Amino acid sequence: MKITTRSHFDKIFTAVTWLTVLVIITLLIMILGPILSKGTSAVIFRDTVEFRKMQITLFRRGNEMKLSAEKKQTAAVRQKIYDTIDDFKKGIDTQSLTEQVRTIYRRCGQELRRKDLTPQQYTDIRSTLKDIRDRLEIAFASKDKAEIAECVTYVMKFSGDENFKGTSAEDFFVIAADFQKAAKKTDLTKQHLYAESVGQIEDLLTLLLGPRPGAALPATAMNQFGATRWDLAQSILDKILWKEQWVSQGDGLPLVKTRTQRAEEFAGTEIEPLFGYIKDNLKTMMKPKLRFYWQYLIDDSTPGHYFGGIGPEIIGTLLLTLLSMLFVIPLGIISAAYLTEFASDNFIIKIIRVCINSLAGVPSIIFGLFGLAFFVLFLLPAFGAASKPCIFTASLTLSILALPVMIRASEEAIKTVPSTYKEASLALGAGKFRTFISVTLPAAMPGILTGVILSLSRVAGETAPILFTGAIALGPVPSSIFQSTRTLSYGSYDMAVGDRLAMMVPHNQYGMVATLIILVLCLNAIAIVLRTRLFKKLHGH
Amino acid sequence: MNEAKINQVALPAADVLKHQPLVLNYSQGLGRCLGLYLGQSILFLITCTSVLSVFLIFFFIIKEALPFLREFSPAEFFTNTGWYPQAEKPQFGALALIVGSIYVTVTAMIFAVPAGIFAAVFLSDVVSFKVQSVVKPVIELLAAIPSVAYGFFAVMVLAPWMQHRLGFTTGVNALNAAIILSVMSLPTIISVSQDAISAVGRELRESSYALGATRMETIFKVIIPAAHSGIIAAIILGMMRAVGETMVVWMASGNASRIPHPWWDLSLSIRTMTATIAGDMGETAKGSEHYRALFAIGLLLLVITLCLNLLSEYFLSRTAKKTGALK
Repeated sequence: MKITTRSHFDKIFTAVTWLTVLVIITLLIMILGPILSKGTSAVIFRDTVEFRKMQITLFRRGNEMKLSAEKKQTAAVRQKIYDTIDDFKKGIDTQSLTEQVRTIYRRCGQELRRKDLTPQQYTDIRSTLKDIRDRLEIAFASKDKAEIAECVTYVMKFSGDENFKGTSAEDFFVIAADFQKAAKKTDLTKQHLYAESVGQIEDLLTLLLGPRPGAALPATAMNQFGATRWDLAQSILDKILWKEQWVSQGDGLPLVKTRTQRAEEFAGTEIEPLFGYIKDNLKTMMKPKLRFYWQYLIDDSTPGHYFGGIGPEIIGTLLLTLLSMLFVIPLGIISAAYLTEFASDNFIIKIIRVCINSLAGVPSIIFGLFGLAFFVLFLLPAFGAASKPCIFTASLTLSILALPVMIRASEEAIKTVPSTYKEASLALGAGKFRTFISVTLPAAMPGILTGVILSLSRVAGETAPILFTGAIALGPVPSSIFQSTRTLSYGSYDMAVGDRLAMMVPHNQYGMVATLIILVLCLNAIAIVLRTRLFKKLHGH
Repeated sequence: MNEAKINQVALPAADVLKHQPLVLNYSQGLGRCLGLYLGQSILFLITCTSVLSVFLIFFFIIKEALPFLREFSPAEFFTNTGWYPQAEKPQFGALALIVGSIYVTVTAMIFAVPAGIFAAVFLSDVVSFKVQSVVKPVIELLAAIPSVAYGFFAVMVLAPWMQHRLGFTTGVNALNAAIILSVMSLPTIISVSQDAISAVGRELRESSYALGATRMETIFKVIIPAAHSGIIAAIILGMMRAVGETMVVWMASGNASRIPHPWWDLSLSIRTMTATIAGDMGETAKGSEHYRALFAIGLLLLVITLCLNLLSEYFLSRTAKKTGALK
């Protein structure tokens, strides 16, 4: 081969290695980037007046005076939307209009009976009322504008009638007038479509603005408030302005998503300007403000994490990790000390080392199985406790998982202590134990601490071992270590896969994972800093 | 007279005191000796916790799996592809699950091994120490990210992307799981094989360069062959990570227990052993057949990883011997 081709190959090879590493780093950024950036939006975001309402109702937090002033301002703007829709519905919702007319007719009949009338008068008025009712019903069912006009004019003839003054029958004329006004503007053939679309808009408005003032408060917290976040409000606005439909292109072809403007659909009606109105006044209705919601880290959440934070999850994770550290730290340090300082290199020690390595290689789900079989189903009943998964069993399981990590890190730390330290101590007459406790251990402490932090971060992120030994997705904050707990890791899993409600609050989904990752990465960063410091100190650079 | 006698007796005693560290009387020596032994044996016992743990893990997994192994023929367990534990006539055929595990692991290794070796070569032979000290912690970050976070990424980001951009019928499939698993096993592969490649001494490199070889030739013809057992150990350790991983495969593989057909179609959903344990265990009654069958899968998994672990240790000890011999 020519030397130039060889050098070309060499260059290509170098480029490939560079490329590989760049791809790996890009992957890291691609994985962390969206999770962290979307996760931050759980804490820093633009909230709306609905968020402030929710904070006061659920967490008793915020300024009530200010809020009621804001409520007043927004209510005026919102009311106009409701009024427009109600007006429009008078011309469309023939079903409910018919119902209304029937109710009025019944009421009139009752009033009529209480009046002092001759039988002849009674039958006359009664038949007129019946006539009015039937005419109106014909008008509501009709698609023909002329017919409607005819019916309504017929009905309106009686509006001046002395017999109906001050009775419920006056409502007939109000409804009739309203309906005629509305019917003039609307395309009657589209009545049905309009009714459906208005229903959708009303549902979306409930999502955006919360339940209508005066309406009964829904039972679940998630339905009691409108869009609590500005980004959410905007996406709902988009849904209000644009109608999305899956339209078929023909047999065998996949459906295609189309977007049509709702304003076009309602062209020529009194609702048409409403869309512009909502769009222009969204800010005045929602009053967005930049918020740093640090309480996300301490708040409890409503079921499904729709509102609130991840306080119990963080507490659960901390409890689990700290409790397991309580078992791991002494065991790990003593094992490492024995293996490095006291043990001779014989067969038994080799077996111990193989066991430690095997333990490090055991899949995490096996630890879960073992924890279930041993700690939950065997150990707890053996001590007379109820055999159910709890924090105690979960942390014991995790501590076995973390043991090899701890032993290895401590061994490394103890090995890096220069032998001159030990020799000096031994030469001064100290025994093996005293040398270890007063010289080697303090010198190795930063390294051991690194090991502690590394095993902490490993334990904090593990999910599989605690699946059957103490983690739950929903539940109260534990009051003792013999109860199961929510954790960040299991919560992240549950919100990504198990919970349908969580799909509606992506910021909370990402927020929990991001918190877990930040927690673990911070622990790792501390470990790295400690390690470099120790390295510098012991090697005198 | 009395005083002189005391002096005579006291004098040697004072002499002894002076040399106390060197000359102990019998009881003193015994006490210290016993103390040392006692202390050491306590330490030894505590150290044996890990051995005890391994033993207990084996004991309890086998104990829970044994009734199942007795009742069902292992032949059916390994050859039947039907995993229908809840059916009226339950079937516990683990073949599809075993194949699923192997399938994602091998696919993950196809991505991860070349990338890992290239990255290891990059770190040890291509860049300066300064770049290396920046890049290495970044790669170690990949190992620090919790597996559930990878699973989350697979479900929330990668799966929708695959479904919309690549036109797969489902985003949670073998390819998705394999990609994430390969990213997860990369740090292990990189750091172990980098250690092996760095352990090949300067002498070999310099002699190769002196003979006129380029860097690529040196690496492919000299260094990688010399470090091959370390690299094999790295691959095995990476495989262990992939085989034993639970959360990612559970979330990203689609959990359809079947053998992919056609075999090369990565866009199909599959199910692995770990995901089956994680997914089914929550719903079974303790002590039922299904429960025991899951433990049997666990036992199989444990045996596989243990064998892989011993294999990796064998290869690692070979590298240690080789590099020791070179020095």
